[in-house]
Amino acid sequence: MRPAGRLLRLALVASACGLTAAALPRAGWAHAQPYSFLDLHLEADHLRGSLTAHVFDLAHEVGLASPDSLFESAVAERYADTLIAVLGTRLRLTADHTRVVPRWARPTPVPERTGLRFDFQASWRRLPATLEIEGPLFPYDPQHQTYLNVYEHGRLRHQDLLDASRSVSTHYTGTRQGVMAVVRSFVAAGIHHIFIGPDHILFVVGLLLLGGGMARLLKIVTAFTLAHSLTLALATLEIVNPPARLIEPAIALSIVCVGLDNLRAHAGRADRRAWIAFGFGFVHGFGFASVLREFGLPREALGWSLFAFNVGVEVGQACIVGAIAPLLAWVSRASQPSGKRIAFAGSCAVALAGTYWFIERALAFSR
Amino acid sequence: MKPARPFILRSLLAALALPALALGPDRALAHEFWLAPSRYRAVTGDTVSVAAFVGTGFRGERIPYPTTRTLRLVLRADREADARRAALNGDLAFLRFVVPNGDGALVAYQSNFARIELPAGEFDQYLALEGLDGPHAARARLGPAAGPGSELYSRCPKAWIAGTRSERVTRPVGLPLEIVPLADPGGASRLAVRVLYRGRPLAGVLVRAWHRSLGPNAMPYDAAARDSVPPTAQVRTDRRGIAALSVAAAGEWLLSAVHMVPSADKGVADWESYWASLTFARLGSP
Repeated sequence: MRPAGRLLRLALVASACGLTAAALPRAGWAHAQPYSFLDLHLEADHLRGSLTAHVFDLAHEVGLASPDSLFESAVAERYADTLIAVLGTRLRLTADHTRVVPRWARPTPVPERTGLRFDFQASWRRLPATLEIEGPLFPYDPQHQTYLNVYEHGRLRHQDLLDASRSVSTHYTGTRQGVMAVVRSFVAAGIHHIFIGPDHILFVVGLLLLGGGMARLLKIVTAFTLAHSLTLALATLEIVNPPARLIEPAIALSIVCVGLDNLRAHAGRADRRAWIAFGFGFVHGFGFASVLREFGLPREALGWSLFAFNVGVEVGQACIVGAIAPLLAWVSRASQPSGKRIAFAGSCAVALAGTYWFIERALAFSR
Repeated sequence: MKPARPFILRSLLAALALPALALGPDRALAHEFWLAPSRYRAVTGDTVSVAAFVGTGFRGERIPYPTTRTLRLVLRADREADARRAALNGDLAFLRFVVPNGDGALVAYQSNFARIELPAGEFDQYLALEGLDGPHAARARLGPAAGPGSELYSRCPKAWIAGTRSERVTRPVGLPLEIVPLADPGGASRLAVRVLYRGRPLAGVLVRAWHRSLGPNAMPYDAAARDSVPPTAQVRTDRRGIAALSVAAAGEWLLSAVHMVPSADKGVADWESYWASLTFARLGSP
């Protein structure tokens, strides 16, 4: 065969393969509707649920070549136990840190969703504070999404989407214990964020380096708190949402400014730390908000989570102030020149670190 | 037979490209996203449901309503309403509403960003396919250093249910990328649209049009149970952001445009893309 003829034949074969591959369902590829639907109804003494999954995904799990055959009751019945076992393993429900093991009913067809519905039920002694819902339900398909709706006493309280990037959803119930769980989680998140964020720590430390009486320090901390609380709330409620490319370098810049202002004040000028804390507090609030969003805010307890995270930030900040301020005061009382030297060297270090972060972040965002 | 080889080579390349296009890029990407009302003409008291589809060539699969991915769901009829409260996560209809009168209704949706990353070759192929020349050229300049393509994408579709108050559709909603017809889209056989990016006219963006016939009572056929069709027209916007397309045939129309810009947050993705669409119908006599 002439080379041109071979090429043409190859082209036709490749084309045919391509079209066939496009037209057929692809066992190794997944299908066009990679969705499942999970409804949970929470009552005082029990949980009712239903999981509707596409026949394609179910057929994949049991190695069935023709997904539509699952609509035949005999076929669905033949595979029901295997499917219930698979789904029972994949769907992990945890109420107040205790695994919930539901009883599953036989599947029923849901033609409008091209799927089968599996109802299930579990009892508990009382409504838990938290219910954790964990997937993924069909890990063979990284694009699979599970639409999750949680109802409490018939009222829709929580909506979420589980996928490869978000495999766990936590529902905080509307009980007093649920509110307490929100507060505990988000206070801890706020404290954690302060302690893992060297930029926030350094900003606060920078504000403390020049020392001062209790009233002055209180004024500085209050100014910072007021400002960052406001922007944290505005950003969380999606009223104002500046991009990270502006906020992250601006936070670094705030550290440079506090360092430089300390040096200026060290030379005998007026102490403007409260104003700096207030002004840059707005910027830090936006930074806190981006972290809070990453936690996945419970919409059903938005106010409590926002409040609790803010409290956590304040607690973290208070810990830093409580550790650093007395130490600096003690050094200054023992030897005023040493206190001044520490303030000078510390301010230089703060300004240099801020400059480093500013350059690093500005470059990262302009790449 | 000199010309034979280039032809055959082209055939081979095209044939090899077919499976690549069919199997990837990601099914959520390089795909149009549009809103399809249950009917394009409605009278007072009719209930209209609006579903969303993702696919190619005006053939697509229905997407359930995702509460956590929704930034805006707007119904503009007698007044403009935030329809998110009435929508249910996972519902196969994004919206159901009772038509207050025959003045027409506009439905608009905006999703938040979803992230995707593709191997370099697939990403470049998708940029070429969508006519995203700027990003394509920018990556070409980088050469192999461009690496895999990562992107945050947001969907911005609109659907117009015909009515007498065309200003409901000719007035922008305020989506990040928006196709705004300059006249009643069901009225003239040649339709001029302005593409707005963040409220400003966007020059040089490719606007494409697809057409399908409509069923009885201005009801569209199931978009999942039909074949893909090629676009009937594709035009780049001029410096005023305007593109004029022929939409003479009666039936259901889909206009689509994509705009991609460097990402505001390079740590998350290299690019941000916005996918705008407008669906409407040119109707015969009721």
